[in-house]
Amino acid sequence: MSQSILGIGDYGAAKHPGGEVKTFALGSCVAAILLDPRTKAVGMVHVALPDSSINEAKARQRPGYFADLGLPLLIQEMARLGSPANGRGLVVKLVGGASIMDHNDTFNIGKRNVLALKKHLWAYGLGPLAEDVGGNHSRTVSVFVDTGKVIVNCPGRGQWEV
Amino acid sequence: MSKVVDREAVRQAIEKLPLFSSAALQLLQVISDPDHELEDVIKIVKFDSALTMRVLKAVNSPVYGLVKEVTSIDRALSYLGERMVVSIAVQENTGQLFSKPLEGYQSEPGGLWRHDLFTAIASREVARYANGNFDLDLAFTGGLLHDIGKSVFATFWKDASLEALGQIEQGIVSDYLMAEQDLAGLDHTEVGYEMARHWQLPESLQAVILHHHHPAEAIECMQPLVYAVHVGDIVSMMAGCDTGSDGLKYQLDPGYQEFFNLSPNVLAEIVLNSEEEFSKAEASLVS
Ligand SMILES: [Fe+2]
Ligand SMILES: [Fe+2]
Repeated sequence: MSQSILGIGDYGAAKHPGGEVKTFALGSCVAAILLDPRTKAVGMVHVALPDSSINEAKARQRPGYFADLGLPLLIQEMARLGSPANGRGLVVKLVGGASIMDHNDTFNIGKRNVLALKKHLWAYGLGPLAEDVGGNHSRTVSVFVDTGKVIVNCPGRGQWEV
Repeated sequence: MSKVVDREAVRQAIEKLPLFSSAALQLLQVISDPDHELEDVIKIVKFDSALTMRVLKAVNSPVYGLVKEVTSIDRALSYLGERMVVSIAVQENTGQLFSKPLEGYQSEPGGLWRHDLFTAIASREVARYANGNFDLDLAFTGGLLHDIGKSVFATFWKDASLEALGQIEQGIVSDYLMAEQDLAGLDHTEVGYEMARHWQLPESLQAVILHHHHPAEAIECMQPLVYAVHVGDIVSMMAGCDTGSDGLKYQLDPGYQEFFNLSPNVLAEIVLNSEEEFSKAEASLVS
């Protein structure tokens, strides 16, 4: 058993038995989760913002922070574990992208993150098989190598599978 | 409502809280005066040896990667900024209040400190986009203390809190603050306000603590400050730095637009900068 914890803007993949990739308290951030049914590899990127063009320095330093850079990097990481470099055949799940109550458009970063990820997934011919996004609650999410299960946790609401 | 919290018991719990040291109180007073000078802060710190030691420890923390050890308070302060000194003083004077788990909110130990520190940094970032002049460090200090009421309220809130999320989901109440009012008969902003009065904190900080979820209710001259913290609080929750089950379950008051120019890109910058400063500040403040 080994757990790899991702912070905001981190990405990572695993395929060893007992492996788990986890990220805490997504808020308006979105976790894009990739699963390869053939290699059994699982991967995740914790994206905070839709577009890297707002800050070039940060884009170089922490590319995983942004949907446009983070997703390709995660697909590369999956390729290192034997998945196709073009992402073909990967299963995608999206979790997070929550918002405050009664927000306006400016504050809907969560929705912009989800939309940006979908746009970039689409460029690979991919789309989410399942998603648990939006709402007004912050999610913690894990993906497990052995079962391929994606488990979401939320204070006060318990846990469920996506 | 059968589970209404006993106000008298809350009052007694607040009365038992240890007072702030005179240095900490002076520091908060000086910071809340827009005309103060860095010199005033340095003087206060120099007279308090515990505070001096903590400030030097923070500036020499590996996260800042300074090559030469800083041994003078003057240099430490100009490097860290007044806001870090305020953080240290507040942390020293609130003891366990920030670090114990918040029962009624199901937060992790240290959750309140992380939320308030992130809010402090984000409120200051928001204040940088103000239309008029703005005392940035005051926005920071307000953010740092805004939810302090939860530390005392959480224990009383424990049983009543179980119904809060259901009430919000069913639309019985419009947000978490109303759920507190409805189920407990009081909320974390009122408790925090009483704590601030017990500690004799400056009025501007009292206003932030009492009105941070409904900034329009603050008196006019305090509104820019209270709105900065209102928005900083929301940014903090969006970044996943909340205090547990109440996370994100508050309303955004669009009145902030009168005081701050926030476009989607500006908001993205605020998130980026806050997160970066937060990770450094958090690491350097480990006591
Ligand atoms: Fe609050
Ligand atoms: Fe808060």
